[in-house]
Amino acid sequence: MPRVCEICQGAKAILRRPKTGQSICKECFFRVFETEVHNTIVDNKLFRRGDRVGIGASGGKDSTVLAYVMKTLNERYDYGLDLFLLSVDEGISGYRDDSLETVKRNKEQYELPLLIVSYEQLYGWSMDAIVETVGRKNNCTFCGVFRRQALDRGALMLDLDHIVTGHNADDVAETILMNIFRGDIPRLGRCTEIATSGDGYITRSKPFKYAYEKEIVMYAYFRKLDYFSTECTYSPNAYRGYAREFLKDLEAVRPSAILDIIHSGEAMQVASEVKLPSQTSCERCGYISSNRVCKACVLLEGLERGVPQLGIGKSVKKTQDLLAGRTATRSGRAVDVVHFDKLRKHAQEMRHERCTGCTCDTSAPGT
Amino acid sequence: MCDSVDQSEHPAPRQARSQRVPGMCIKCKTAKPNVSIRLSLYCKPCFVKAEIFKFRTALNKSRQKANQHGTKLMAAVSGGPTSMAMLKLILDFHNVGRQGKTASTAFASVTVGHVDESALFPGCEDGVQRILQAEDVEVVTARLEDVFDSEEGLELVEKTVTPGAVRDKFVAQIVRQNPGVSPRERLKQLFSGLSTATNREDMLDSIKTFLIKKLAQSCGCRTLLLGDSGTRMATKVVTYTSRGRGYSLPFEVLAESQWGDIAVLRPMREWIAKEVAFFNRWTAQPSAVVPTFTTGAPAKASIDRLTESFIVALDRDFPSTVATICRTVTKLQPQDDAADAVHCLVCGMPAEAGAQTWRNRLTVSDVSSTESEGPVAAGAKPEPEPETKLAAGGIDITQRLCYSCQNLLHDAKPGTVLPEFSTHRYQTSDAADLRKQIEEFLI
Ligand SMILES: [Zn+2]
Ligand SMILES: [Zn+2]
Ligand SMILES: [Zn+2]
Ligand SMILES: [Zn+2]
Repeated sequence: MPRVCEICQGAKAILRRPKTGQSICKECFFRVFETEVHNTIVDNKLFRRGDRVGIGASGGKDSTVLAYVMKTLNERYDYGLDLFLLSVDEGISGYRDDSLETVKRNKEQYELPLLIVSYEQLYGWSMDAIVETVGRKNNCTFCGVFRRQALDRGALMLDLDHIVTGHNADDVAETILMNIFRGDIPRLGRCTEIATSGDGYITRSKPFKYAYEKEIVMYAYFRKLDYFSTECTYSPNAYRGYAREFLKDLEAVRPSAILDIIHSGEAMQVASEVKLPSQTSCERCGYISSNRVCKACVLLEGLERGVPQLGIGKSVKKTQDLLAGRTATRSGRAVDVVHFDKLRKHAQEMRHERCTGCTCDTSAPGT
Repeated sequence: MCDSVDQSEHPAPRQARSQRVPGMCIKCKTAKPNVSIRLSLYCKPCFVKAEIFKFRTALNKSRQKANQHGTKLMAAVSGGPTSMAMLKLILDFHNVGRQGKTASTAFASVTVGHVDESALFPGCEDGVQRILQAEDVEVVTARLEDVFDSEEGLELVEKTVTPGAVRDKFVAQIVRQNPGVSPRERLKQLFSGLSTATNREDMLDSIKTFLIKKLAQSCGCRTLLLGDSGTRMATKVVTYTSRGRGYSLPFEVLAESQWGDIAVLRPMREWIAKEVAFFNRWTAQPSAVVPTFTTGAPAKASIDRLTESFIVALDRDFPSTVATICRTVTKLQPQDDAADAVHCLVCGMPAEAGAQTWRNRLTVSDVSSTESEGPVAAGAKPEPEPETKLAAGGIDITQRLCYSCQNLLHDAKPGTVLPEFSTHRYQTSDAADLRKQIEEFLI
């Protein structure tokens, strides 16, 4: 005998919900999944009416489902948000070029404006070129540092108030575990925050903070969403791999474990003597930094000088001090990295233009 | 995802530390080594000496912090390798202290506190008793079933997610126990009603903690030593985190903690399992195998079992893992409201307010009412817990359970009767609540 949906008690149950183990129907699954994201948004007061919100879109399942759900909830609950797709092209052939095609289709399917910013265009170096120089050992450091900045640059180009990313509950739980394993107390304190404005420019948040990865996949599958499902060709990080595998095993033992770990992480209060370094802005590019020269600029300097190990690992602080007050080295490859002050000024002008005749506060974010 | 910058600082994989005399014991540098611990080589006598020194350093540090001198001491001993090593070390420490020179470092007395688990693990007790009787020390024993040695019990009558219900509810009632059923039988019923090994481990932890504390109290011991090795403590930190116990973690797994007026110390915290094994072998210290719910089971049998095998493997590849995890937990602080929080009926730890609401907002089971919610800007708050109408004699205990014990009871069968300490905690906290309400009128 077919089982009846445990929620609506009417339709036939066709799936077992990974988060709770309930047997439910497709429509109820959509509904509870979306409602939980809505609850997350509402309970944490993530947005204000009129906010310009960029969805960090990679073409992968998380961000594709995020774009769909954000659009749906914005309409259903009348959030009053202006939504955009914002993509970073790292320049990884066979991975990013294909996934960007997916993003371009999403743009049409969801009728959202799309901006793509590329490493090549911003820094003069694609990831393929970087890997050619540095090899495969530290390339994820480059990619991570550059992407963070690239998203902020894109956000200023669109004059956004907010960026949402597709980080899901599994990512958050895994990060909590990793920070415990390696004793990273400051990060343990911060990694459960749903929204950060620590970078000084644009608020970033994770509406999927409590959404299980398995349910995101399930949602994409049953909604027949168009996403790209290949892992980054340069990726895997061994240590994160350990944590990920362990988390999957925990989830198998007790499905609520992912949520339980996040609940634990949120309750953990880090002793107050653990201080974060104070922030200033990079003298070269204007990006927020705990040093006179930001990490991205150090990495770039290394690439330009042909000594890519410059900004890697323990030596980075020393290098940052060394480079302070000097002008950047430029090879033939170099592009002019646009200063953040310029981007900010431009964003402010855009805001003025949009708001001619209206009485809203026209100061651009981050000023 | 490889998009976090975090990844630049993961711990370095194992590196050989330089030995001062290659191929020789790191201490005496003259003897051939017999064992390698954390990449350092030791000969037999140097290893034993180093371990004794390590124990005393840790113990003295803890005593200083806890300000415990000259009190009566209880060593919690299961009979397993770590607790037996600890017993040997503490007796040795105590006797040396008593014999003169360092009299000020001694304790007034040393007693062994032991919990007899044979009700759940038949046959395990004989070996332990034999070993304990061979030691020259007073032993006091509590049995697990002692927690059912009372006439009243708190019985779970309802717990759900009722399909379509807005939220979970835990309703209990105070019942008279059937005098025809022995405490031992009641204990077994409790455990058979908990559907998973993880839940059983969780409940067993709570019961043993309660019993050992009670033993210490009844013997007038103000200092209690627990035989948790570093490996065990790291496992506990991760297990408790995975069970959703983050709120109470700063009280549960520390080098020194305070259980009421009892100072709880963990002097074996810097030992890994391998050190214990070699120390016991070379000092001819016998120990027993203490069975668990997952003895002989595969790693995925329970959260604790899975975590332990994970931590052991991780510590093999990154030898500082256990120490790092133990250090991490010392940097955590209790939340500001923890001091006034209600104590969980099951585990006795502070329970955070609103745990149930938090879970319900993120595991929605009701799709009918979602339409009516206002727009974002209104910033709708989670609804307060509703007043529940209960059948006569029913008590809504949801607010009296910590997040983790809600998990535990979520899977429990209706009719499950909780240990007597739950009834006791319910009644005393109830009295405290009443007192609070009338406090301003008391003269
Ligand atoms: Zn349904
Ligand atoms: Zn810079
Ligand atoms: Zn030696
Ligand atoms: Zn509890």
